[in-house]
Amino acid sequence: MEPNGILIYAQTDDDNRIEPVVKELLTKACSLKEKIWNQRIMACVIGERINYEEMIKELGAYGADEVIIVSDNRLKTYNKTYYSEIFTQIAKNHPPRIILIGATSQGKDIAAYVSTKLETGLTADCTDLDIGEANLLLSTRPTFGGQLTADILCKTFPQMATVQQNIFKAEKIDKTAVAKFDWIDIDKIENKIEVINRVVKKNSSENIANADIIVAGGLGACRDNGFALIHELARKLNASVAGTRVAFEKGYILKSQQVGQSGKIVAPKVYIAVGISGADQQLVGIKNSGKIIVINNDKNAPIFKYADIGIVGDLFKVLPELIKEVDKDKEV
Amino acid sequence: MNIAVFIKQVPDTTDVKWTVNNNIDRTKMDSVINPVDKEAIEAALRIKEQLDAKVTVVTMGPKKAEDVLKEAVAMGVDDAFLLCDSKFAGSDTLATSKVLSASIKELLPDTKLIIFGQSAQDGETGQTGPCVAARLNLPSVGHVSEIVEITEEKITVVSETDKEKITLNVTLPAVLCIYNYVYPPRIPRVCGYVKAQDYNYVTYNMYDINVMDSETGLKGSPTYVSKVFKCNDTRNGMLFDAGETSVSEIYQEIKKVL
Repeated sequence: MEPNGILIYAQTDDDNRIEPVVKELLTKACSLKEKIWNQRIMACVIGERINYEEMIKELGAYGADEVIIVSDNRLKTYNKTYYSEIFTQIAKNHPPRIILIGATSQGKDIAAYVSTKLETGLTADCTDLDIGEANLLLSTRPTFGGQLTADILCKTFPQMATVQQNIFKAEKIDKTAVAKFDWIDIDKIENKIEVINRVVKKNSSENIANADIIVAGGLGACRDNGFALIHELARKLNASVAGTRVAFEKGYILKSQQVGQSGKIVAPKVYIAVGISGADQQLVGIKNSGKIIVINNDKNAPIFKYADIGIVGDLFKVLPELIKEVDKDKEV
Repeated sequence: MNIAVFIKQVPDTTDVKWTVNNNIDRTKMDSVINPVDKEAIEAALRIKEQLDAKVTVVTMGPKKAEDVLKEAVAMGVDDAFLLCDSKFAGSDTLATSKVLSASIKELLPDTKLIIFGQSAQDGETGQTGPCVAARLNLPSVGHVSEIVEITEEKITVVSETDKEKITLNVTLPAVLCIYNYVYPPRIPRVCGYVKAQDYNYVTYNMYDINVMDSETGLKGSPTYVSKVFKCNDTRNGMLFDAGETSVSEIYQEIKKVL
């Protein structure tokens, strides 16, 4: 069978809601589809008690032509063994040209497994996708700690890529999808992993990937009361606190608050970068922000290139004054 | 119990050198051990303290990757060897996983537990561990934040992401990827360094592990770099000097975007 189409892993959460990254990938797939002749977009949903009609409507609204559904009571919560093997079999049953998967921890798990089983190439954490020479998928990703960017091609099919949330923008279109049911013999999958306890963390409201305003600190803020000032400003602006890899390594933020290629890609309306030089993989994580405000005492810091408003100054002087200004503003 | 730990030497990221094929030229750069891989070694050594285990550390790379093996031996592992062949150069994740899994099959067939660090500092893809597991048809668990219990037949681990914390029972043999900052690595003692200095680090090439020319290196890698460039996006924003403009004036601009 000639490989055809773009297959997307439509990851859902515990309540069978589609993850935001899936809609973003569908929108991107629509623009890729226009550049290659006669392709379809397939979205694959794995789970239990899936509301078929709703799922087809929603995935169709973002560009899916076909929705492949695998439903079984053993698939209620994510199980790596089952999900990876099922998605591999789907990719074998409907051989696509391209497979796109959200770079969540679940998505990365599945992508690694599928690419190995299909003996095909996988480009992880892409920051852009396009169609290049010979109608091949052109995957762009930062390389080498984010100092350089590489365009990567793949000479085998399917061509696979994972992409983090917020890299692309989801757009609703007026379209409907067709349902396809695929029966996979789950009994044949040997499961060697047994879940004995699962605690879901209640931090969805604090998820920086969905934040409107972010105040983030880097190495420059990793001393004295730097992060205390960041927290105070964030509180006054109703913003989320984030930081760079160094800030995480030094214990000022949690891993879930880390911005950048090895952390999260964010796309807030306003991103305030405090004491961040931006020399590293950090910039990849903030490029899609609405407005970027930078506070740094080094006027040569690379991050100033990305600033809509740049302030050259000592954060320990600027932040307290800024906090005062916000207070004054609130009183009025 | 036999435990294998795969470690990676990562280049010193301050000084990048490239080959004509746009691949990283590791031969011209200083290498250090990938930080989280030391934690993978630490996790293995802690298991060894509990039960009778032999820990073998393996790395793939040029001859000078021996330096990172020295550090592993100094930490106290039982054996360390190098997978080195000019044909391995330029391997992507798929080709690398082929070499690593072949080394298990051919050189360490009775391995019960394979440990990786969650991801490499230079590539950050975190896919090699799960790919090796898929090749060997073994179960794998990523983001491991704790090894709770281990017997000859199974291991109980905690896997933690920012969304959830899961405790799992996994049938051995299995692959684990250890998460950052959960097993602070021990500092080698002087006698460790002495042992590491005199240790005989065996090198295996592609024939030793039964890997074909077409399966490894650039030939065996489906993905290839077509272009490398410096990202030059800029926003032509306003720039203020806090020494010249008052924060209250600057705030008037900030207010417009908030």
